[in-house]
Amino acid sequence: MSTDALLRFEDVTLRFGGVTALHEVSFEVEPGELFAVIGPNGAGKTSIFNCLNAVYRPSHGTITFDGKPVIGSKPTEVARMGVARTFQNLGLFANLNVIDNLMLGRHLLMKSGFVSGALWFGRARREEIHHRAEVEKIIDFLELQAYRYQPVGMLPYGIQKRIELGRALSMEPKLLLLDEPVAGMNLEETEDMARYILEIRNDLKIAMILVEHDMHMVMDIADRVMALNFGEPLATGSPQDVQNDPHVIAAYLGEAS
Amino acid sequence: MNRFRHLVMGRPNERMIVDYRDDLRLFPTRAKRAWLLFLVLAWIFLPAVWDNAPFTILSEHGVSLNTLAYAAVFSIAAIGLNLLTGYTGQVSLGHSVFLAVGAYFTAYAGSTWDMPMLLWLVLAPALGWIVGALVGPFALRLRGNYLVVVTLGLVFIGEHIFRNWKSVTGGSTGTSAATVPVSVGPLDARNLEIFGREFDEDRAFFWLTWALVALVAWLVKNIVRTRPGRALQAVRDRDIAAEIIGIDVGVAGYKTQAFAWSAAIAALAGALYAPLQLFIGPQDFNLLISIQFIAMIILGGMGTVYGSIIGALIITAMPRFIEGYSDGELPLLGRLIPGDGLPAVAAKTTDDGLITVSSLNVVIYGLLIAVFLLVEHRGLAGIWVRIRNYFSTWPFSY
Repeated sequence: MSTDALLRFEDVTLRFGGVTALHEVSFEVEPGELFAVIGPNGAGKTSIFNCLNAVYRPSHGTITFDGKPVIGSKPTEVARMGVARTFQNLGLFANLNVIDNLMLGRHLLMKSGFVSGALWFGRARREEIHHRAEVEKIIDFLELQAYRYQPVGMLPYGIQKRIELGRALSMEPKLLLLDEPVAGMNLEETEDMARYILEIRNDLKIAMILVEHDMHMVMDIADRVMALNFGEPLATGSPQDVQNDPHVIAAYLGEAS
Repeated sequence: MNRFRHLVMGRPNERMIVDYRDDLRLFPTRAKRAWLLFLVLAWIFLPAVWDNAPFTILSEHGVSLNTLAYAAVFSIAAIGLNLLTGYTGQVSLGHSVFLAVGAYFTAYAGSTWDMPMLLWLVLAPALGWIVGALVGPFALRLRGNYLVVVTLGLVFIGEHIFRNWKSVTGGSTGTSAATVPVSVGPLDARNLEIFGREFDEDRAFFWLTWALVALVAWLVKNIVRTRPGRALQAVRDRDIAAEIIGIDVGVAGYKTQAFAWSAAIAALAGALYAPLQLFIGPQDFNLLISIQFIAMIILGGMGTVYGSIIGALIITAMPRFIEGYSDGELPLLGRLIPGDGLPAVAAKTTDDGLITVSSLNVVIYGLLIAVFLLVEHRGLAGIWVRIRNYFSTWPFSY
């Protein structure tokens, strides 16, 4: 185990009543790494994110992010540590436009409260102008220029997925959790998304955990892959190794007789 | 943007934005600035021309300057409720209580301690803020109908206190606010004199209340377009996602703060209501008043500031119209419907009729709420946006 890991899961176990969603899951994510989690439906992939976001509290094990314990923190504190996330079924603020959604990503980087916001002149206005310019960089990066002032609920699904990625990026996170970023997308949209993910890794150097069913994409872009089945890790390693692991093949295709 | 005009061929679109400061203006287009100017001029000059030719139609239909001052007070309360319900998604039936907090405080402090206006204009909202902050945490674990029931309970607790804390509220009979100071320096609303000209109380209160509507509208508009207001809307749209991007929804978090600020604004409205009404009692702050506020923001438009004002104007003026109708005394509209006013509506309790004016009002509030929620849940503001979008792209349909 290296000591400079950004994120470390150690023997994390999560139970709901009699169901074990995660069983002694351990893995590490290095700074700047693109780490993928694969597995059949119900394998516990999204549960990993919910533990990491402090939405669920594991019954056993430790989660350390950037040297700080995650279990026992609140979701907002985890966000402050530098963890951003996109949701499997979209978690956008549907009535707000693209700018407002991205500005909300910068909530923790801004300071105005009710009083300075209400008075507008001074801090609130300076802050709005400054962060509006930062958000514009993300709009450029994700090619969202055409949609700035449209309520996000009205936009196509693929665009909404991209806006959600934008909102996570505007948090300037150290670790980005992507929950099925290309689910339900066509080939072209999937390739666009893969391109953005690679640019985030190569240019912005943000570590990512990618949960995805699209095996082609995972095997093409991930640095390392962990395969889960029924809450238990089957194999962790390079995409080739995991692809050829007999346990993984068995979980996906059934036991070879 | 004039610096860039020469770079663009032909006449540039007025809304071409080349600077973030341009992007953040409250009145970005020439039409909106003209509209603002019109409203300011109307505010200044309407009381002066009120008794002259075309405007007399309004007063003949029961809408006096006094009615407009009430509409202003209710506009403030509606803006406050919209901050909580429209922007944060927390329904409150308890806003009449927050109104009462401000009203009783002002009546008591103004009469007993002779508290000057500038002080009660600050302290009444401060007290409302505290009461709202105490009620707010209930919203953390309750949502939708359950929260409605809790805030409904607040109305009954409030009414009990108002009827029994006699030393402050005067009990069931109420308390006078006639001696509350309503003056700033040499300007006294009860005896207004500007440049040697004297103005009556109705005119003075029109200027005072609508000036405060403008102030509150500006403050709330600023809140909702900056960090705290965006956080409220995020909580409304999806609270779990809001938490994960770092928005606090805990005990001291945004839901509680929305309650506190919304109550503070309602208390400010109450503070103005007391000296305007002269005498206040528990019947001024019952459940029906809360429902009126709900009707105002649903009719005007949830999640808009200007919609709250339009809704308050309509809901306040409507009973006066209906009263005029049932008397058969409306000079202009009365001619359209022959006979002695509305059939089956009793103008006075001694008249025959199926329904009294005040009960008819309640029925109409209910109908307006139901119809708007079913047909256009964004209210008149939503209808206006649709009309504007249609014409801004005309003759193309998209």
